[in-house]
Amino acid sequence: MILNSEDSLINIVNRNRRNRRGMAVLQLTSMIDMFTILLVFLLKSFSAEGQIMTITRDLRLPESTSRDVPRSMSVISVTSEWILVDGRSVVNLSAITTDSPLMINGLKEELERLRLLSEQIGNLSTNLQGFRGSIAIQGDRDIPFDILKRIMFTCGQVGYNNINLAVLEKE
Amino acid sequence: MNLKDAVRHRLRGHAGNEDVNLTAVMNIFLILIPFLLLTASFVRLAVLEMTLPDLERAGRQSSILTGRVVVNVLFIRENSIQLKSPEISLAAVPKVAEYDWEALRSQLEQVKFKYPESMDVIITPESTIRYEIIIAVMDICRDAGFPNLSISG
Repeated sequence: MILNSEDSLINIVNRNRRNRRGMAVLQLTSMIDMFTILLVFLLKSFSAEGQIMTITRDLRLPESTSRDVPRSMSVISVTSEWILVDGRSVVNLSAITTDSPLMINGLKEELERLRLLSEQIGNLSTNLQGFRGSIAIQGDRDIPFDILKRIMFTCGQVGYNNINLAVLEKE
Repeated sequence: MNLKDAVRHRLRGHAGNEDVNLTAVMNIFLILIPFLLLTASFVRLAVLEMTLPDLERAGRQSSILTGRVVVNVLFIRENSIQLKSPEISLAAVPKVAEYDWEALRSQLEQVKFKYPESMDVIITPESTIRYEIIIAVMDICRDAGFPNLSISG
């Protein structure tokens, strides 16, 4: 190493020490920009009540322009294979053919059980919500009306007259 | 400190040698962003409310029907959509590749123009019609000013 007159050993040591003390500054500007945008976006989409209704798997809900928010209630999910009530499979769709009766028996029994349960809860205290006759249907967008008709008929026969069709909000 | 030194000192200060201390901001970001990411829901659920007629309501409805309220019936078939409204003759909207939503919308507006108080549409799909189509028809009816929808088999 060639040293000229000013690069004495002491000077080199001093320079190294200055560098080691971390005088190099991190450029945080772009990261802060990104975080700010992300933060604003996430705060905008933040909802305090959280998700009331969970979407069943292997189910594509249809899209709609409706903006009515769902309330908490029992959910009948209709996938391409099964009818589920509150996440438990009740009836296989292959059991329903065009010449079977309108009433779906397995579903009817399950709904009657649910109705009885909610009525009993309602009787316990006036603060608790009893039977209100509302139920949500989450249907795959490809299910035929025939299936939907039978489900709605069964709901109506049991006493669930207020049917809410769950949809995804369209942008 | 003379004037020359003071000026130089201030100039150096303005030249950006001093950094903003970002530690606190970074701490907030590091906590808030994971928290919000975890709670974020990217699909938004909505509901379409629909009421099946029950016995008490049926009685009330028939008393309303004696007034001037008009009930329109909308048939969804595999190859066309037919809207039926009293005293208006409407041609069936044919389905070519897709249903013609604009034609249906203009027919509904026509009905709304003739009967402004009319709020009800009864949707009658064929049994093979897909759920998605029914929802789309219900959307169009609500947009056209018919919020009371019911489905009949």
